Amino acid sequence: MTTKAPSLAVSQAQKAQRRRENIAGYIFMAPSLIFFLGFVIFPMGMCLVTSFFNYTMTDFSFIGFQNYAELIRDKIFVDKALVNTLIIVVLSVPVTCVFSLWVASLIYKMREVHTSFFRCVFYLPVVTGSVAVTVVWKWIFNNYYGILNYLMKNLGLITMNQNWLGSANTALGCIIMILLTTSVGQPIVLYVSALSNVDGSLVEAASVDGATNLQVFWRIKWPQIMPTTLYILVITTINSFQCFALIQLLTSGGPNNSTQTIMYYIYYNAFKLSRYGYGSAMGIILALIIAAFSAVQFRLARTDNG
Amino acid sequence: MKKLLALLMCLMLIVPSALALADDNVTITLWTYPIGSWVDDATVKGFIEAFNAVHPEITVNVQYLDYTSGDDQVTSAIEAGTTPDIIFEGPERLVANWGAAGKMLDITDLWTDTKDDIVAASPAVEAACRNAEGKYFEYPLCMTTHTMVINKQYFEKADALQYIDEETHTWTTEGFINACKALQAAGYIPGVVYCGGQGGDQGTRALVTNLYSGQFTAADHSAYTMDSEANIKALTQLQAMVAEGSLTADAGIVAADEIALFCNGTIAMGFCWNASAAVSNKASMQETVTAFPMAFPSDDGVPELQGGIWGFGLFDNGDDARAAAAKTFVKWVCDDENQAVPSVYATGFFPTRASLGDIYAGTEKADNADFAIFMPFLGDYYQVTGNWAVQRTEWWNLLQRIFAGGDVAAEVATYVTNANAGI
Repeated sequence: MTTKAPSLAVSQAQKAQRRRENIAGYIFMAPSLIFFLGFVIFPMGMCLVTSFFNYTMTDFSFIGFQNYAELIRDKIFVDKALVNTLIIVVLSVPVTCVFSLWVASLIYKMREVHTSFFRCVFYLPVVTGSVAVTVVWKWIFNNYYGILNYLMKNLGLITMNQNWLGSANTALGCIIMILLTTSVGQPIVLYVSALSNVDGSLVEAASVDGATNLQVFWRIKWPQIMPTTLYILVITTINSFQCFALIQLLTSGGPNNSTQTIMYYIYYNAFKLSRYGYGSAMGIILALIIAAFSAVQFRLARTDNG
Repeated sequence: MKKLLALLMCLMLIVPSALALADDNVTITLWTYPIGSWVDDATVKGFIEAFNAVHPEITVNVQYLDYTSGDDQVTSAIEAGTTPDIIFEGPERLVANWGAAGKMLDITDLWTDTKDDIVAASPAVEAACRNAEGKYFEYPLCMTTHTMVINKQYFEKADALQYIDEETHTWTTEGFINACKALQAAGYIPGVVYCGGQGGDQGTRALVTNLYSGQFTAADHSAYTMDSEANIKALTQLQAMVAEGSLTADAGIVAADEIALFCNGTIAMGFCWNASAAVSNKASMQETVTAFPMAFPSDDGVPELQGGIWGFGLFDNGDDARAAAAKTFVKWVCDDENQAVPSVYATGFFPTRASLGDIYAGTEKADNADFAIFMPFLGDYYQVTGNWAVQRTEWWNLLQRIFAGGDVAAEVATYVTNANAGI
């Protein structure tokens, strides 16, 4: 009895302490949690609900899966928006990752000032407003006095001006190229950081044991930067799926729907045609596709430690 | 002490609100699209100050929209229940879109004492501002005709002035075709049929329908009629001109880009022009450019120009006091004997009241009066036809397909099917 009473008191004190810590923790979490619930979870739930309604400016009636059935029959959605979106993702994600890793591996060993300079250069398009970036690219691609046509003609690569954004053959390629310039900044910064954190003693030991540079990279560095790679893959994939501003500002999905993407088609249906329910159904499909892609990436990039 | 402080703070919050209520003050919101200087804060605030001199009990907050994101903002506001009390735009939005969706107030009472004056200016204006049931959703302020523009210097050098009637600012389809050939032969880019989006699509629509006197819609606005023989002939003609290089089609630009190309002397003519554009682009005009407004070419030499009508609509926000205040403001802006002229003058267009006469004579904008020559050519205001938003997207997509080499008749059939599907 004499020993139990103090231990019970200690236990209660510990519980009280833990409760206080939990309460403090939840209070600290509350702002972001409220934001997350209000601006992410709630809209997602609303999106799911409205996808089952014929929700327009004048109607809000339950129609079950009719929006989804219409989506499957919608040739612009299936043949253009979906296909173009997948092309953008399939091309831009690997290129972004490989290019970022290559640049990062070149600059992370440089003197700090040089590394910082290159990080700034590559990060600049990320922090520059998409409208400003788009205006510059629109000028570069201009059919009549664009600098790209000027340079390529002077280099003898083309004989007459090309309408880069006005041709169905080149418009999507231009969009992907611009997307790359705005996508590589963050991965480069992350890779520079990840490569700098690779355990130097392991690299040194491998080199002493006669490992080549390629072996050092694949056996030592690559596994250690894998969590960063996974993060970059997922983020770049999501960003590529959600490519919108470039399309809206440069091509409006044209020519002939050659740059139509799911995100732009959602916007077009919801805001131009006021078909909110139909747009929501597309949003749900897009979310499912992104979730599936992310799951596959997590699965493929899974490591023993993460 | 803390309790006293808290009490004081509460009073500070409550008292101003209570005083405001006691004063019967009303605050209303005006959203305006960029119609002439109605996007210039100093101009609009000046109007509001003048209004407040007469009606100090009404506070008017203003927000400026643009044509890129303005519709999205309004759509969002409608769904969020935060629409403004007043919006300044045209019948295609006020009547055919938001009015048809039941979002606008019936403002027939505003028309009581001014209807005859407006009809005297143009019967088309009165018809465009009401729906089929006769409810008015717009109170018009100004109007214009959309024209095209040529660079007189280039035309002169290419010996193409012979194809235009400089006195009446008109030309025939044959003259247009010959002028384009002459400009091409002289080394100029004659013109660009822009089709990268819906911006300024009134120009390309007018170009097509005028060439062989086609109609864009049925007379009762019940259907889009691009599949008529005259329209197919016009599109085929344009396709042939693009193929031979006497005209250019560009799916990468919209009207604003085309205007820029015209002003910097890259192209010899533009298809999107009006009195306001002439003023706003004056400063950016290169020395090699002399803008000369022209009607769209037509086979009979008598064009039918696309009209622009701008006025005020009131969103139905369920607040009678605000609606009454909004009507007071709109009536004052449009009809006050001291304010009506400055209100129209700021737009750069023409008054929709015959009684106002020529408001530009002897002013800085005296050149605008030149555009009055086009008013007799004002055609049907068909932008109130149903499914307008779908039609607009279908239109520039149709042009893209045709100028990419598509079969005109087949592509037009697709366009008509899609555009008419939702009417």
